Amino acid sequence: MHSLYQAEYMFYKDKLALLQDTQEMFLASVGELHQNYISKGLREPIEHCKARIKCARSAKEKLKRKGLPITLDAALCQIYDVLGIRVVCTFINDVYLMRNWVADLPGISIVKEKDYIKSPKPNGYRSYHMIVEVTMQNETVFAEIQIRTLAMDCWASLEHQLKYKQEVRYQEMVVDELKRCADELASTDMNLQAIRELIKLDIGKPDNFFGSKG
Amino acid sequence: MKENKIKGAMQRIASFNLTYFSSIVSKPAICMGIKMRLLLAEDERELSNALVAILKHNHYSVDTVYDGEDALDYGLTENYDGIILDIMMPKKDGLEVLSQLRKHSITVPVLMLTAKSEVDDRIMGLDAGADDYLTKPFSTGELLARIRAMTRRKDEFTPNTLQCGNICLSRDNFELSGAESSFRLANKEFQMMEMLMNNVNRLVSTEQFMERIWGYDTETEINVVWVYISYLRKKLASLDANFEIRVVRGVGYRLEECICIENCSTNL
Repeated sequence: MHSLYQAEYMFYKDKLALLQDTQEMFLASVGELHQNYISKGLREPIEHCKARIKCARSAKEKLKRKGLPITLDAALCQIYDVLGIRVVCTFINDVYLMRNWVADLPGISIVKEKDYIKSPKPNGYRSYHMIVEVTMQNETVFAEIQIRTLAMDCWASLEHQLKYKQEVRYQEMVVDELKRCADELASTDMNLQAIRELIKLDIGKPDNFFGSKG
Repeated sequence: MKENKIKGAMQRIASFNLTYFSSIVSKPAICMGIKMRLLLAEDERELSNALVAILKHNHYSVDTVYDGEDALDYGLTENYDGIILDIMMPKKDGLEVLSQLRKHSITVPVLMLTAKSEVDDRIMGLDAGADDYLTKPFSTGELLARIRAMTRRKDEFTPNTLQCGNICLSRDNFELSGAESSFRLANKEFQMMEMLMNNVNRLVSTEQFMERIWGYDTETEINVVWVYISYLRKKLASLDANFEIRVVRGVGYRLEECICIENCSTNL
């Protein structure tokens, strides 16, 4: 391991290995799922999947912000996103498909779920969030899993840039425009899902849709 | 007669400048990307063509007919924001078309055009339900101003937010919203939702959607209506709407209250 990398994660001490194992376990499950779809010749619901362990600096910042003690124990037990996993899907229904897949994984129990697709944040943010408890080698780790579509992911990465920029010109206008874009993307996501279902319907029952009237 | 025609044409050309000017200072014919739809009933082809060019240049969407019978048929479809009606027309004159339209409770604003500047014609026209009149020859600047005035009156009655059950549709920003979420609709989706919400519990035929939104002479496949309906249904379902779009097979669609009350909140 790179020395700088190691220095950044020293904070986690012997728990780092546990976090890394959990992360790898999850990514391996996604890889297995991927192989499964490929071998059956089916369309894959996952576009990509990323995982990260929060660097010590931002973990400490978060603890401080929440008024929690800056200790390893608090980082592992009182904030839930030290291990973060993001699953990016093609269509909206895939998001819920993946949610069910995660819920059924062995060794995982759901602590909390929040559907920001059904109830977006005021700024327009949309994603499906799950906080799960993973049991590995008789130890447990919390992880936050974010599941969303490509469009939502694209929007979130732009919004993220705005959040960390100190001074943005026309701040108010940019915030309004981002909200508008979020609602437009959500509309398009729905339309893509509808079209996808039409295509499936058309393949399933020839002449039922494009062939006949009304 | 011939002199009159030339005079009229000259005036039309001269007033082109006025056209540009008036389109700058006045309210445009386009509102949130939706063009106003006009029906032009004028039997004199040359004048009709000139008017169409001017109206289109000013962002109106125009259908043209050349006799009274067609004017009545088109007018009865209720697909217009305004009708420009010539009085002297073959088959049926403008006055007759107008009174027939009003008899069918069609309240669309009507501007009468007349070659004669006779007072009787104007009185009869206004009494038959015309909103305004213009005597030929006229300047296009004045015609456009009168169209704007006539369609403006209608605007006053239109609220900016349509509501149906727990769902709102904003005419200002095309937002379809429920209690927890909102979608920004695209132009045609918005128009379709607007038509449905303006006609709650009433049937809107597939043809009406086609004519009003895609236009008469569209080459678009009629199944497109079905596709747009499924876009809207998905969004309504996602917003937990207590209204839904029902199909009447082979005829059209209707916005109705959901039968299932499981997901619907009635506390408004």
